[in-house]
Amino acid sequence: MASTREQLITLLSSKSNTFVSGQWISEQLNLSRTAVWKQIKQLKSDGYVFEAVPNKGYRLVTIPDKVSENTLVWGLETKWLGREVEHYSSLDSTQTLAKKRALEDGHHGLVVVADKQNKGKGRLNRYWESDHDQGVWMSFVLKPDLEPSHAPQLTLLTAVVLAETIESISNVTPQIKWPNDLLLDGKKVAGILTEMQGEQDQIHFVVIGLGLNLNQKNFSKQLSEIATSLCQHTTHSYDKNAFIQAFLTHFEQAYDVFIQHGFDQVRNKWLTYGFRLNETVSYQVGKKAKTGQIRGITDQGALIIENDQKQEYIYSGEIDWFKEDK
Amino acid sequence: MLKIDEIKELIQALDESSLTEFTYEFDNEKIALKKEVQYKEVQSAPAVSPVLEPKVTESTKVETHIQEESTQSEAQPEYDYEITSPMVGTFYLSSSPEADPYVEKGDKVSSQSVVCIIEAMKLFNEIEAEVDGEIVEILAEHGELVEYGQPLFGVKTK
Repeated sequence: MASTREQLITLLSSKSNTFVSGQWISEQLNLSRTAVWKQIKQLKSDGYVFEAVPNKGYRLVTIPDKVSENTLVWGLETKWLGREVEHYSSLDSTQTLAKKRALEDGHHGLVVVADKQNKGKGRLNRYWESDHDQGVWMSFVLKPDLEPSHAPQLTLLTAVVLAETIESISNVTPQIKWPNDLLLDGKKVAGILTEMQGEQDQIHFVVIGLGLNLNQKNFSKQLSEIATSLCQHTTHSYDKNAFIQAFLTHFEQAYDVFIQHGFDQVRNKWLTYGFRLNETVSYQVGKKAKTGQIRGITDQGALIIENDQKQEYIYSGEIDWFKEDK
Repeated sequence: MLKIDEIKELIQALDESSLTEFTYEFDNEKIALKKEVQYKEVQSAPAVSPVLEPKVTESTKVETHIQEESTQSEAQPEYDYEITSPMVGTFYLSSSPEADPYVEKGDKVSSQSVVCIIEAMKLFNEIEAEVDGEIVEILAEHGELVEYGQPLFGVKTK
């Protein structure tokens, strides 16, 4: 059951092109006029902007860009993902905190969001620039009933969901660099880090972290060669709350389908976004440097590279994605 | 940009050298490697040759690294439990190149102790020991590609 506030926001956003009277709202929501007025006052203090005209009523003009636990949960129509949200204006790393929560018995679906991170990290603890509030920095806890050997598929699932979310919000189509980096014009727009703890036959928890460059207008010289943001790419800025909510909603659906029906759908979708599919790349497995054509991914999620008519499945390795090979 | 394998080579070279620090800077990129030098603590053994302090030459500071292998070889590599890999992936003994390894030979572990990471498709799987005991053997190499079910550690549980 949505709270009064959520109902009010839904109602007002659906009527944002017209004025509605306090009387009308109180009838719709079965609230006293005073209660409506109080709720609106509260919304204003949270950054919602209204146009109020005597005898006409209210019109919701701006939904705040400011993220808070409330703005994230309001209007979020998920069953389990993000029902519990922790938001911080500043955090060392959402991933570190989410892992800590997972160890402390944090729930399946717990989401941690930070406006900025002081020690944002990528894989192998590589630094991820996120010390500002222009991006989406979040991590969430999953406790899947899944064989540990299938867990890596979750990173590919996350990449697909993120690509679809970007597409639905901005109408641009990113590419996925195997297994899970998102690119626009060959520059990184989002990265995903998945960490898991478990036993031989049982997963204790999986924490998925993502960093998405949303509204950055420019990057440092060092990064501008390799990174981009959705804003930079499309010259629009985006509502962070809306993006996070769209992602969570989307992820929950896709995750439930994945758990029920397996990896097939994820794989097919992944392939539509695959970066440099059927192109030749240099890669390295162990100490051997090779070249081959990328042929897709297996039903496990491993990268298929064809080399002298033999197919090799890559689970872990270094691929030289940006070197042109003929 | 340095490739991961070049970095690995640097780490290996540093490991095998008597250097304790190495810094490389090029084109706004910087890599700094450091190693902890462990000195064997000798308390009551009387006839130990003094640790030589080599002269500091120009810019390179050299410190003597005493191998601990002699003490470790006494622990018999007999184990009754193997920690195996739950998936195909790359075996890492530490969470990052700068971090200390999760465990070393001779360490006591409990069932909840994280002993290593297996990375597959950018999922980093922290492997727990699952038993109480002592790590007596490390059976895979840091950075090695391991198979499903491949033994990673030998543990003496008694």
